[in-house]
Amino acid sequence: MRLLALAIIVATTAVVTATADAASRGGGPGTALAIGFALIAASLTGELFERFRLPRISGYLFFGVVCGPYAGAILTPGMARELQVINGVAIALIAFIAGLEINFSRLRPQLRAMLTMGGVMLALMWITLSVAFFLAWPWLPIAPEVEGLSRATMAALVATVTVSFSPTVSIAVITESRARGPLSELVLALVVLADLMLILLFTLSMEGVRFALGSGQAGHGILSGLAWEIFGSFAFGGIVGACFALYLRYIGREVTVVLLGVAVMLSQVGGALHFEPLLAALGAGLVVENIAPPEGDALRLAVERGALPVLVLFFAAAGANLHIGALAQVGLFAVAIAALRMALIHASAKAGARIAGLAGEPPSLAWMGLVSQAGVTLGLAILISAEFPDWGGRLYALIVSMIALHETIGPILFRNALARAGEVGRMDLPENVERRTPNAGVRV
Amino acid sequence: MSRREDWGEVGGADALDAAIPPPATNTLRWLQPLRTRAVLGLTPVVAPAVLFVPIGAALGPAFTNVLNPTALGYLEPMVAVALAVLGVFAGLALDLRGQRDGRLFAAASLEALATLIIVGGAFLVLLISWRIPLALPYGLVAVMLGLCASVSSAGGAEGTSPTHAMAARIADLDDVLPIVVSGLVVVMLGSATPIPVWQAVAWLFRTILLGIAVGTAGWLLFERAHSRAERNVFIAGIVALIGGTSSFLGLSPLLAGLMAGLLWVWLPGQADRVVRSDLQRVQHPLIVVLLLVAGASCEFSRQAMWLAGPLVLFRLTGKLAGGWLAMRVQGMVTAGELGLHLMTPGLLGIAVALHLLHVARTPGMTAVLTAVVVATLASEALALVLRPSDGSGA
Repeated sequence: MRLLALAIIVATTAVVTATADAASRGGGPGTALAIGFALIAASLTGELFERFRLPRISGYLFFGVVCGPYAGAILTPGMARELQVINGVAIALIAFIAGLEINFSRLRPQLRAMLTMGGVMLALMWITLSVAFFLAWPWLPIAPEVEGLSRATMAALVATVTVSFSPTVSIAVITESRARGPLSELVLALVVLADLMLILLFTLSMEGVRFALGSGQAGHGILSGLAWEIFGSFAFGGIVGACFALYLRYIGREVTVVLLGVAVMLSQVGGALHFEPLLAALGAGLVVENIAPPEGDALRLAVERGALPVLVLFFAAAGANLHIGALAQVGLFAVAIAALRMALIHASAKAGARIAGLAGEPPSLAWMGLVSQAGVTLGLAILISAEFPDWGGRLYALIVSMIALHETIGPILFRNALARAGEVGRMDLPENVERRTPNAGVRV
Repeated sequence: MSRREDWGEVGGADALDAAIPPPATNTLRWLQPLRTRAVLGLTPVVAPAVLFVPIGAALGPAFTNVLNPTALGYLEPMVAVALAVLGVFAGLALDLRGQRDGRLFAAASLEALATLIIVGGAFLVLLISWRIPLALPYGLVAVMLGLCASVSSAGGAEGTSPTHAMAARIADLDDVLPIVVSGLVVVMLGSATPIPVWQAVAWLFRTILLGIAVGTAGWLLFERAHSRAERNVFIAGIVALIGGTSSFLGLSPLLAGLMAGLLWVWLPGQADRVVRSDLQRVQHPLIVVLLLVAGASCEFSRQAMWLAGPLVLFRLTGKLAGGWLAMRVQGMVTAGELGLHLMTPGLLGIAVALHLLHVARTPGMTAVLTAVVVATLASEALALVLRPSDGSGA
């Protein structure tokens, strides 16, 4: 019956898109059509994947790739682009949910160890990749003719982009798997920390490249820009979150409307003010959870239960925008770098956990939650490409193909790790049952 | 929650409101009005349109330009989906059981038809004599204004008298005829060249077919979902598909939604109930977006103001006359009383006008939307003054 329903939907969509004239494709109606089609077809594909013991998220991604403009073209480039616009709100909602998960009183005992592990990991990965890229530079399809200081700074910049993780995908996998526990918390803390550190590293690396290449923009307001992006984002999110917490506590009416308004404000207004929407939304969720815990907990549970359509749409849109063609062009290099990155994540996570004194199953599985790459990485590559169109364009193609690989493998690995840690579905358990569940946890 | 609240234009209480702990009522007493409001408005005086349309106008290009044309373009898919949701709720309301419900439906349709004819006819005469420059056929403008005037919402849910209960049911059912006629108008308005009526009727059947096809897919999916979360995805997807496919073809999402809703009521199973309960989660945000976009799309031109004043008066006349006719069919309420209960226009009229503007973006259509919006707000105010004698009206 479900197959019959899918057949009706595919046939209707195909007839409608074939009947309408080319001028009306894209735009508002086209986006609504794409959303409807993506929600149902991606959801059914996700279910099909689950039957083969693969994560549903991979099914959503697969649907996006197959129906997207770079493969099946049922979703036109215009539709795929507009799905990304809706994604801004989806990312804000996903990060807001993640913020609601961060309760300082619960995390305080492990916070220092988590920060140490993240710091060590990032440092090891960045240094190793920088050296590796410097040595392999003549063979990389970016700018093999560059030598000396320029080569060193460019290698550091490429290493920064390569190291980057995807907080959104990690958070989305946790939410979709309805996972809760030490591994989820550890991965969440690591990706958020990495996101903050990478903004810093990227800004410094870009300045280095500008200086080495003699670009006129070098040294222009680095610190103020950084402070605005990191602290400004958190402050903006914190203010919005505090207002929302007060609204929940003293008014508490039409919460869905106000919550969506908050998500739009964080993604669109925050974006226009050059804040990072992800950090701002995370800050907002964090403030709500820690200012008004009863309301925050209740809101988190309710939003998580209704978040599936947002997640399906997010991953289907991500799949639709994956450039499969780029993988064909520089696929071999991308595969090699992806393999090196994965090995480094594994090794540095192990070393980081040992130095931080973390033991047990979650730290040993944490690397599997850090493989995904998506929006943050792509955003960094776009910034480089915009400023250095020549070699930046070639780097962009390489990064895009790496993202295609990591976005496919990452969710599968992370979901697998969550299942091994016994955390899948634990969001649905009452808090007291969850606390009694025997699990190794993170031992500090 | 009453049955009426369950399927009304603005649905019942917000789903998240019920999930979070009740707010502290003993502190900050000056916030009390915000805590005691009815669904999407401030009870007992402010309807959602009165609250959100002016906000939309203030944010729109005519004033602050926060909702600029680009932002309005991004909100267009939400409007298409909101129209489909309103259509689905109108279809779900057609759960007619027995002869009494059949008579109620006939009374509601007669009341809507009478209002449509009175408002449309009066405007045709007025437009021909005033010769307002709208760059649209006067007959079409008259029909559009008649359509937007013929819908009603029977005021707030706080009324408890039997008259109010019947008026509320008639208000649910009187949306059907305007939605069907608007399906024809959308096709005629959207065509680049004038098309014969038989061709418009053929497109109307395509809209119905589209609603039935997507509705059937939904019916096959809803009760076979493995979890409530998956069912939410299916329902959201089906409604978006109804809104998207019909708008994509230049057809009416309201009519396609109506057909799907009707199908779910008629087919065996629980499809109508699950859709009704799950759509409440998204209904309020969609309605807010629709009203904000409608407000932002208004241009307060002289033509619009010339249309708005007569629209309020013609609608009042139409509703009183339509109510009297419906009373004859129903034989329960005193003459004029039902019309007074149906004075509150609700938001479907604005939704129809907004959709027509999206189909044909001309200054004339903008004037029609603005007139409908202004007349809706004025009619809401009028409904506060002209209260039925049993005191149960809005």
